[in-house]
Amino acid sequence: MLQRALHNLDRRLRTAGESAAAHPDWKDRAAAIRRETLLDLDGWLDRLEHSLVARGVHVHRASTPADARRVVVELAQARGARTVVKSKSMATEEIDLGNALEDAGLTSVETDLGEYIVQLAGERPSHMITPAIHKTLPQIRDVLAKEAGTDLAVDREALTAWARDRLRGEFLRADIGITGVNFAAADTGTLVLVTNEGNGRFCTTLPRVHIAVMPVEKVIPRLADAGILLPLLTTHATGQALSNYVTMISGPRRAGEVDGPDELHVVFLDNRRRTLLGTRYEEMLACIRCGACLNVCPVYRNVSGHAYDSVYSGPMGKVLTPLLSGGTEGADLPYGSTLCHACSDACPVKIPLGDMILALRADVPDPHSGARRRRRIFWTVWARAWSTPSGYRLTTALGRVSRGRVPGLQAWTSTRELPRPARESFRDRWAKEHA
Amino acid sequence: MIDVFVAGLRANSCTVSGPMNTDEARATVVERASAHLLVACNDDVPLPALVDGLRQRGVEVLTPGDPAWAERLADAEVGITGARLAVAQPSAIALAAAPGAPRSTSLVPSVHICVVRVDDLLPTLADAMIGVAAGEMPSALTWIGGPSRTGDLEMITTLGVHGPRAVEIVLLD
Repeated sequence: MLQRALHNLDRRLRTAGESAAAHPDWKDRAAAIRRETLLDLDGWLDRLEHSLVARGVHVHRASTPADARRVVVELAQARGARTVVKSKSMATEEIDLGNALEDAGLTSVETDLGEYIVQLAGERPSHMITPAIHKTLPQIRDVLAKEAGTDLAVDREALTAWARDRLRGEFLRADIGITGVNFAAADTGTLVLVTNEGNGRFCTTLPRVHIAVMPVEKVIPRLADAGILLPLLTTHATGQALSNYVTMISGPRRAGEVDGPDELHVVFLDNRRRTLLGTRYEEMLACIRCGACLNVCPVYRNVSGHAYDSVYSGPMGKVLTPLLSGGTEGADLPYGSTLCHACSDACPVKIPLGDMILALRADVPDPHSGARRRRRIFWTVWARAWSTPSGYRLTTALGRVSRGRVPGLQAWTSTRELPRPARESFRDRWAKEHA
Repeated sequence: MIDVFVAGLRANSCTVSGPMNTDEARATVVERASAHLLVACNDDVPLPALVDGLRQRGVEVLTPGDPAWAERLADAEVGITGARLAVAQPSAIALAAAPGAPRSTSLVPSVHICVVRVDDLLPTLADAMIGVAAGEMPSALTWIGGPSRTGDLEMITTLGVHGPRAVEIVLLD
């Protein structure tokens, strides 16, 4: 399934690649803008906060995911909110905000179609741009039909129409809209949100309160920089010259306006990001979450996003997950790489992902070092044994007798198959036929 | 530049008519909207007497000043707006929120008709953003490339997820 979806995506991205080739210097310009931001991240954040506050926006600084969850939950509770509509955001996945809201007794509804399907299925997104990329249309029908309580056709239009009606009701009912942020311009105090479906627009138009969760590296120095970064983000994410909707929000609803939120809150989320400044991993904060590295990664293409068992998957996930957790999560991810560096080539802001994956193998202790040592011992013994004819004959005879059930290898064979040995060895057959 | 703009919008499943003069544009919009019962119309549409024209054709028109706006908008089948600016590459229109120009007119109804002045068309987004950032920002500036869409179902585009199923651009010169 993933293969077919990625094939559809490949076709789009190829066309986009051709149009991006018309601006060969755009990657350089974007990379420069992102690095300029990182040179003085704290300074730009202060400027952003100043600009936002001047526009009547409430700014909250959260150093840990728990802090961010507490800010949002307390805001919701203080306003007596019952229903929250969410627009797809990796930052809210990172802090597991949906579950925190549910635990606090609120109803939290994902409104991006793919994310909604994943939420109903009780799963996690498998791709940062298309969360339900691992599901086939009949599987999606089953998930939606169960929620609908009626039968639905395996038809893209029909399923979309059903979800449209269902989620329209949620938008009208919701007290709070929660979104991420793609870019936040320090000079004008503007939040830039990129969406295709329009759910992000609903979340920032109808509910009385809008809360945006913004990882600190999303700040850009100038709103004009978005003119370079936006087309680069969307061509690399979905192959679109520009996403269908780009919303630039500069403060809450103003006097006389008939829609838009009365209150706008922005939560700056650190979660160890600022500790990366000045280290060899600083450039990881240049990431614009386009997903280009996932789509080209030979590992991601074969194992899909869930195999990473982390919010961020693919090459960028291999780097970011151990860094954001201080090595307690995803420490084995840097080893799940072919080091082919296709990710480094694909990255629109030129992050040397392949180099970072390699460096992390040295910097983060490998949680599977015991298993690795056992494997090394096995191969050493095996190499010794097969270096002599008698050792070879003995072990292959044992293999035939045990029919591949080798004691001590269960950890390996529980998920893989050993080759089945032939009933009779070639030597035995030769000896018999030429006797 | 207009050709690039029109081609880009059509590639994104918009319908485009014009460039045409004010009278032709008004007639086009009235004709298009007259098949519907309730139409929401922003105050920033650059077509004088449009609302009267619609009402003469028996179409009920909801305007942002109407006290019933919020509660009746969900029933509107068409939303008519102007645009602050537009760019040819990548092709998109930009709508600025204002008291007479709510954000939801281009979002809630199934059909969005946008009247764009050719004079407001700029060559690229990168150029446009420099000008936008230098001016006073509205509370919301919404860039629209076409009908609401998703690629979430097996990476194949499906239109009309949450926002309008159709976006119709009328170019005014």
